[in-house]
Amino acid sequence: MAPPPSPPPFDPSQRLVDSLREQGTSPEESEELLPALLRLDEWRAPEPSAADTLRLIARLTAQLPARFEVREAIRKHSRGLGVLLATGGAQVSLLGIRFWLVSALVTLAGAIVVLSRLLPDEALVLRIGGPLLAYLGTAAAFRGRGARVLELEFTCLPSPVQIVLARLVIVLGYDVVLALGLGLVLWAGGSAQVLALTLSWLMPLLLVAGLALVLSLRLPLQTGVSLAYASWLGFLGVTAVGSMPSPISAPVLLAFAGAVGVALMTIALARLRGEVQRLLPHG
Amino acid sequence: MPARLREPNSGSGANLFHLALVEGGDGARPSGWVPSAGMQEPSDEDLMAMAMTGDHRALSTLVTRHHRPLFAYLYRLTGGDQPQAEDLVQETLLRVVRQRTYQPGRPFRPWLYAIATNLARDHFASAAARHATPGDADALLRRLPDGGQGPEEWALTRERGDEVRAALDGLGDEYRVVLLLRYYQEFSLQEIADALQIPLGTVKSRLSVGGGRLRRALDSVQRGVT
Repeated sequence: MAPPPSPPPFDPSQRLVDSLREQGTSPEESEELLPALLRLDEWRAPEPSAADTLRLIARLTAQLPARFEVREAIRKHSRGLGVLLATGGAQVSLLGIRFWLVSALVTLAGAIVVLSRLLPDEALVLRIGGPLLAYLGTAAAFRGRGARVLELEFTCLPSPVQIVLARLVIVLGYDVVLALGLGLVLWAGGSAQVLALTLSWLMPLLLVAGLALVLSLRLPLQTGVSLAYASWLGFLGVTAVGSMPSPISAPVLLAFAGAVGVALMTIALARLRGEVQRLLPHG
Repeated sequence: MPARLREPNSGSGANLFHLALVEGGDGARPSGWVPSAGMQEPSDEDLMAMAMTGDHRALSTLVTRHHRPLFAYLYRLTGGDQPQAEDLVQETLLRVVRQRTYQPGRPFRPWLYAIATNLARDHFASAAARHATPGDADALLRRLPDGGQGPEEWALTRERGDEVRAALDGLGDEYRVVLLLRYYQEFSLQEIADALQIPLGTVKSRLSVGGGRLRRALDSVQRGVT
């Protein structure tokens, strides 16, 4: 720290009078205050040297996030729904054919079991099958390092949030289409309470998908997804073993569970922005 | 105050969000805003927005611009405790750099001083607050002038400075802060209100009461001397 004192911190003339006037001080009060305020200049602070400033800058620079020049350039020229759709289109190709087929088969199996009336609790079958789709979809769409596609994904142009959003739209959009198809099949099969059954399929699916995404913020993907689905199965098991009426059998409560799932997805996306820097492999 | 280093990685390597992390880069290449002759200097807000994207040069400009005034403010706020002021400057700027929620366009200076003031208040609240006295021999030696003043003149200057310091110290934080921001940092009334999150009327009131108390404190010192 250099010893020379700082220059006067304020112009001790008209500016001070103007300041007092701006504060609503009367001329008489200003006259009284002025000598005291002028004396403030007598207490001077030492000045940091240029070397001090440079040291400080060096310390702060180490804390800066990495500069993402390519992405910034892209971001300037790529905003809007069209880009999101284009990103989604590109991501569709990353989901293998097995994902589409297995999801459709799980849905079809659910419809067959319900329509065949093999089990007394039709809704329970759907509450197990729907979240299974969430499990499959999340695991397929959001792969971790083990999938060995990181190098490819690191070269993608859109932002992390855009990619995650695009994949969510694809996977959940497909699941919703399947749920609508399920509803149609149930209706054609003469099943009663088509809406309630469809909700029993779709809403737990949203809840488990949201929970899986939030857990995956902190846990490895497979662990997060498995934990979410296992928690749901555990919940169903406890209510079934205890012969308790399912707490989410009513359509309103099912819808609430779905809303919670959507909220969890939103939280995961919002947190992603802040987590990006921490999650960088070289971070 | 030791610098806080980069927070360690969480280690959740297979996290789903690794999938989309596109950028890497060494982060050490300054880029972005490059000042040139005749070019209008970017505002604090612009620089902060650029610094948030990792622009080292913008951060350097911002720090260079604010280091001295911020240090002077914290030096006075801590009653002339130079090491503490240095620590608080660093901690304040670290908060600025680490936070990820700065909204571009938000007035930077009141926000910066709000952080600084809050940190200083936290410091005051701690048990070890204000341990160093401006009268410490080391501190006095550090402030000895290079030249231009003889020992007697320097001692007199210092004595008068200490009177002002003591008068400001006796005001209480709420009045001292507004006086420092207004008369040393040359904040507008609105900037003070923004920085301290208080109404404009309260700012004026505190300036009025604080100014009156300062005058009386300095008068009493003067009477004591004479």
